[in-house]
Amino acid sequence: MNGYAGKILRINLTDRKTSTIDTKDYEQWVGGHGMGSAIFWDLVKDKMINGFDPRNVITIMTSPLSGTLVPGASARTEVQGIGIQSSPIGWFTRSNFGGRFAPMLKYAGWDGVVIEGKADKPVWIDIRNEDVKVKDAKHLWGLDTWKTQEEIWQEVSGRGYSNWVELSPESKTTQRPAVLTIGPAGENLARVACLIHDAGNASGQGGFGGIWGSKNLKAISVIGTGAVQVADPKGLMEARLWAQAKYSLDLENIGASWGSRFGRIRPQNVYWERHERARLQACIGCHQGCKEKSDTGYGNESTCVETEFYQGYDKWKHGGRQTSAAYIATDLLQRYGINAYEASKGLAYITALLKMGVLGPRGKIQCDLDFNKLGETEFAEQFVRMIAYRKGIGDDFAEGFFRAAKRWGRLEEDLKTGILAYSYWGLPEHGYDPRAEVEWGYGSILGDRDINEHDFVSLFFLPSRAIWVGRKPQPPAEQVVKIFVEKLVPYENNPLMLDYSTENIYSEHMAKLVVWHRHYTRFWKESVLYCDERWPDFMNTRIPGYRGLTGEGEPRFFNAVTGKKFSFADGMELGRKIWNLDNAIWTLQGRHRNMVHFSDYIYHVPYAGSGNFARYYLPGREGGEWKYIRVNGRCLDKGKFEEFKTRFYNLEGWDTRTGWPNRRTLESLGLKSVADELEKKKKLGS
Amino acid sequence: MKKKRKLNVQISRRDFLKFTGTVTIGAGALPKLIWVDEAFAAIPVSEGYLLVDTKKCQGCLSCMLACSLVHEGTENLSLARIQILQNSFAKFPDDLTMAQCRQCVEPPCVEACPEKALYVDKKNGNIRIVDTKKCIGCKSCIQACPYEPGRALWNPEKKKALKCDLCFNAPFWSEKGGVQGKQACVEVCPLKAIQFTKNIPEQKGDSGYKVNLRGESWKKLGYSTD
Repeated sequence: MNGYAGKILRINLTDRKTSTIDTKDYEQWVGGHGMGSAIFWDLVKDKMINGFDPRNVITIMTSPLSGTLVPGASARTEVQGIGIQSSPIGWFTRSNFGGRFAPMLKYAGWDGVVIEGKADKPVWIDIRNEDVKVKDAKHLWGLDTWKTQEEIWQEVSGRGYSNWVELSPESKTTQRPAVLTIGPAGENLARVACLIHDAGNASGQGGFGGIWGSKNLKAISVIGTGAVQVADPKGLMEARLWAQAKYSLDLENIGASWGSRFGRIRPQNVYWERHERARLQACIGCHQGCKEKSDTGYGNESTCVETEFYQGYDKWKHGGRQTSAAYIATDLLQRYGINAYEASKGLAYITALLKMGVLGPRGKIQCDLDFNKLGETEFAEQFVRMIAYRKGIGDDFAEGFFRAAKRWGRLEEDLKTGILAYSYWGLPEHGYDPRAEVEWGYGSILGDRDINEHDFVSLFFLPSRAIWVGRKPQPPAEQVVKIFVEKLVPYENNPLMLDYSTENIYSEHMAKLVVWHRHYTRFWKESVLYCDERWPDFMNTRIPGYRGLTGEGEPRFFNAVTGKKFSFADGMELGRKIWNLDNAIWTLQGRHRNMVHFSDYIYHVPYAGSGNFARYYLPGREGGEWKYIRVNGRCLDKGKFEEFKTRFYNLEGWDTRTGWPNRRTLESLGLKSVADELEKKKKLGS
Repeated sequence: MKKKRKLNVQISRRDFLKFTGTVTIGAGALPKLIWVDEAFAAIPVSEGYLLVDTKKCQGCLSCMLACSLVHEGTENLSLARIQILQNSFAKFPDDLTMAQCRQCVEPPCVEACPEKALYVDKKNGNIRIVDTKKCIGCKSCIQACPYEPGRALWNPEKKKALKCDLCFNAPFWSEKGGVQGKQACVEVCPLKAIQFTKNIPEQKGDSGYKVNLRGESWKKLGYSTD
């Protein structure tokens, strides 16, 4: 089985027994999310259980491309199970992370790990190739995520890592084990707790850290010395060099990549002040890292929102100067294992409540935080530790700030005004607001979580960044849209799918965009595990005509590794199947179209946008002409969103009254047994 | 004291050589003569070397994956003839090291091989290379490599030793390798942190092999070139 190790590790924590699943049994789902959903479907008989139930099954899956030379696809690991973060129902959900874990799992001979049951006391799992042991974790429990990993590294090698480490006389490596672990937040069952790997790779959304804590699972460590078989090694090497030379960043001509995603002109995805004495840091196999490690030793490997979390407060406190507080605060999130979105939006929320006089010394909500120290390391440490150890009001914070607001009796009011910027399923809004960039919001509310899929955000950044600095955006909207829609197979060449004007955002065209996005990401990004940071590559300014790698690249690499003859469209269709299976699971959990709604502020408060986002531009038509239009100032119309949902369900072939999948659609995808189960539970759509 | 013998090699001024326990002559000029231990005197120097920049490396291990892929046809970090060691929690630049075969002027691995299976391929740029047909799997070469981590590896499946051949024998690559061709690690490195050279690097210590390849363009990424 080219691209596969051939077996999946199944661990029942309750009796500490391990067994294997033959990967072939699930090969039709290809890998990652598809396989995870299918395994979850089979193993969890009662989908109504909550995430803390020992019967909850957590799948940790790789893809056939994991551990190979495919650019930006070698290192993601997909985690799934019933989550504990969303509301009103903890949906069956997902989160993936980069680093070294998935490749190492493959080299050890495993396509994934399936966690069942609950250990009677803290354990960690030690995987050294075929050898798997469930071990006592008494000495690790209570340690932060970094210390835990260092302890395990030492335990596995018996000494350091400056030389070859012998796992057995015939298996050697120079590499440290890849460890996925929880910190104190997870141990204390925080719904905002993450799984952390290395310094800054996190499976953040869903609350998987708290779920591991409830299962008494501290860490999984894996070290492998084996191989991933590749169907066409020459083809893979050729494709890698082709993609790199043609589409990625040319160090001698960086400027050419000004509008590219696969090879980005500014590779580092960090928002704090960068260090000059540093390196770019990549996940295994990546052609262009997005992380950094600096000579300060602070902020290693953190990216995106983690780096945004405290830098503004730090600068505000220190007269516009960035101090070490910003980096240390982020490191604390990583070490205690806390979801940076919750910490970030939550901190914004409680400071708003403080200003209103509702929280703090004079407010109804008692809070021990010393806000005079906001911006200092001391405050960050206090805030993070309160969450991790559920100290004082930290017990509310650890529940996530949506549930905290509910405990404080403020939920309805603060969702109406939007000071609690939690737009869907009780989860923090991402920055690409549903009122502005609708495909992000629609995808999130029609799914299970904040999608965190940046496929179309360059349609916002490209024009907006130019306008922010007083330049005319180039290329013109019509040309950019044309380049994008050529690649939206099987709905290709329909420019109206990318018309973000208020008149068009409830249309069938926009519904098609959301459908395309759901299917593309479910397969190519969450099952084959192409990384969201570098894929898809719609527009690439290094190429004459600006046509990017997407469409050609995804299947070319996939086929070189697996030897299959998959087309891009085949992948889209399999994405549809996986998306349908997910909806069947949500349906069994209790989903109905009546509950598919944004928080009130999305319908009532016009989108202002903060900072640069106050000037949010996207392509759209005005008077029949394509332009970059400003989308601030609008709300979503609740009635029209209802009509949009009907259009969306129709396109998916789902019951428009309930949003449930129906037999015809499921059977057309080869999911007859899923239809039977839904019918048995009286949840089959008509 | 070890016996020394004069060795005639064509080297540039940059390739000023200094061996442990030996005296170098011709410093400052264009030396045509170097002194080597007698045991190695009959061994011609390699016509190709890999240089690395450990401050430029992004730790993606693409060089290791490419090495294993073109030589073995599979992805296997343990069979990569170049090794990258890194620590997520350490400070730059000590968080990462790169370990490539040095194609030593005085190759202990060649000397250690009892079967002359690890030999100097005089027809092909004097690359220090393993003839797997002759290799009896005694691991003498692996033990003889004085560097840490050792640059000669063991293929447990085939029970043979492996080492960098500058891609001279890379059956799973369409490109021609060796000193006259391309090397997979050099070609694949996204940041060009590995370079091929025909000039003999300084043999003492690491400075000849771990070099600065950053150049002016590196500043455009916001990083120091020091």
